[in-house]
Amino acid sequence: MARRRSGFRRAGAGRKLTLGVIVAALLALGAVGAVVYQSGQPASVGQQVGDDIATGGGRVATGPVRAGEGFVSRLLNMWDATARIEALEKENRDLRAWRDLAERLAERNARYEALLRMPEDAFGAGADVSQSIAAQLVLDSGGPFTRTLVANAGADHGVRVGYIAVNENGLVGRVVSVGRRSARVLMLDDYTSRIPVMGEASRVRAVLAGQATRPPELITRPFQMQAPMLDFIVGAQSLREGERVITSGDGGLYPRGIPVGVARRDGSGQWRVALAAAQQPIDFVRILPYVGVERPEESAVVGDGPPRAADSSVSAIGTQTMAPPPTYQAAPPPAPRPQAPAQQPAAPRPQPAPAQPTTPQPAAPQPAAQQPATPQPAEPAPAEPQE
Amino acid sequence: MTRAPNQRVLRAFGLVLAIASVILPALPMGPLFAQPPLPLAVLWAAYGWAAEDEAGWRAPLLLAALGLLHDQMAGGPYGLFVALYLSAYLMGRIVAAAMSAPNLVSLWGGFIVTALLSIVIAWLLAPIGLGRQVGIGPYAEAALITAILFPLVRPLYMSGVGARAAQPGARR
Repeated sequence: MARRRSGFRRAGAGRKLTLGVIVAALLALGAVGAVVYQSGQPASVGQQVGDDIATGGGRVATGPVRAGEGFVSRLLNMWDATARIEALEKENRDLRAWRDLAERLAERNARYEALLRMPEDAFGAGADVSQSIAAQLVLDSGGPFTRTLVANAGADHGVRVGYIAVNENGLVGRVVSVGRRSARVLMLDDYTSRIPVMGEASRVRAVLAGQATRPPELITRPFQMQAPMLDFIVGAQSLREGERVITSGDGGLYPRGIPVGVARRDGSGQWRVALAAAQQPIDFVRILPYVGVERPEESAVVGDGPPRAADSSVSAIGTQTMAPPPTYQAAPPPAPRPQAPAQQPAAPRPQPAPAQPTTPQPAAPQPAAQQPATPQPAEPAPAEPQE
Repeated sequence: MTRAPNQRVLRAFGLVLAIASVILPALPMGPLFAQPPLPLAVLWAAYGWAAEDEAGWRAPLLLAALGLLHDQMAGGPYGLFVALYLSAYLMGRIVAAAMSAPNLVSLWGGFIVTALLSIVIAWLLAPIGLGRQVGIGPYAEAALITAILFPLVRPLYMSGVGARAAQPGARR
């Protein structure tokens, strides 16, 4: 009779500690000890070296697959090429109308900003875009616990821990570990990712909390629990569906103004963010150095008074309440609006600055004599402060 | 009459599947290997090898190596997946010792218990290594998918049970 080799065929007889059980138990105990030992510590050198090795393997392994994937996708796209072209043409027509509207609004917005002397709203204020490092992602996290990506640029290329990873659509994450030729990027949807963000239009501040398998959650509740920060309650209510979410720069880890995604409300009413970087598979990234904003105490300037720079909006706010009237004669005429132009009120004609203030027509003769000889606006100015 | 594949060949396929389940999710090859989560084939291997190779030391070492590889790929602390896989191995030993007459259903039930135990261990160990915010939902989802698919891949990790093997787990 053939010898029985299955363990189950000897089941019940193996209740003593075998070599395999002893080895497994010892290794398991060692593994638990290793996890406890590494708790709260940064990535080890071994991990960084391992990332370097895996990076090389990943590039070799993914090359043919990516090439094949592109070939297959091109083949599949040929089947419905006509329908897609028609859909794209329709979308293109719609987008042209949106582009016209966007151009008009951008022009108006530029005028308003010039009127208010607003500083230019730059992409990623604080990020050193000129020193960015391009890299390709060669490894995914491969685990159910963390969401990280490994890029094939490391310390030899100038990457440092804390640099920001963005792609063509928006923020991807932050570098948390650097090897010589690889860097590990913690993605926005990782469980441990917490990023201060704000709504681009409403300026609502929130914390973006990663949730791995779901879009990240916008946490506004902790702010509501703090009594001194009641403003955030109002802010949370004014967050709008579909509003663009950008980094706020609070905390000094991320530059301000980098696109993160679009605010969406899920079925339970919780605000989440559809990440902009996840619109398509993340392949190439730009790794940006981030130079944090210095505290004023760290870069104190000894001077003889507050700054009065002409191009400083901060100083302008302090010194004058209103910018000089724009020269409407030099500005180009506004574009005619196609929608019911006859119903639009006439554009306010610029009135030349009066050389002498005109005396207003008094409603009653007695009080008029007591009024100062200053021009009265069409609507009364808010003379008394609102309580 | 078709010949049944050699047990050694099946085991080799099982090992390849286990290694692939560790490496493939780490390669950024689009959504194909990301959604839905791939089953944790190493759990199958741990359970099956525990039953089939009770006295050998190679299976725990191989599982530890696969766990280290998974830890490296995941960027997590070394030892997390090692502990998960070896706990599955030890649980498989307990199940193998406890079963008197295993059949497909009881083996499946034993694997479900093993998968649930690994979820509990992940729940205990992952917050220590990765912080309190870490969630084990994705791991639990992958482990449950692994448990559901177990009957399909059992021949790769275990010898046949059923009608042809009369009372395969009978006590001697």
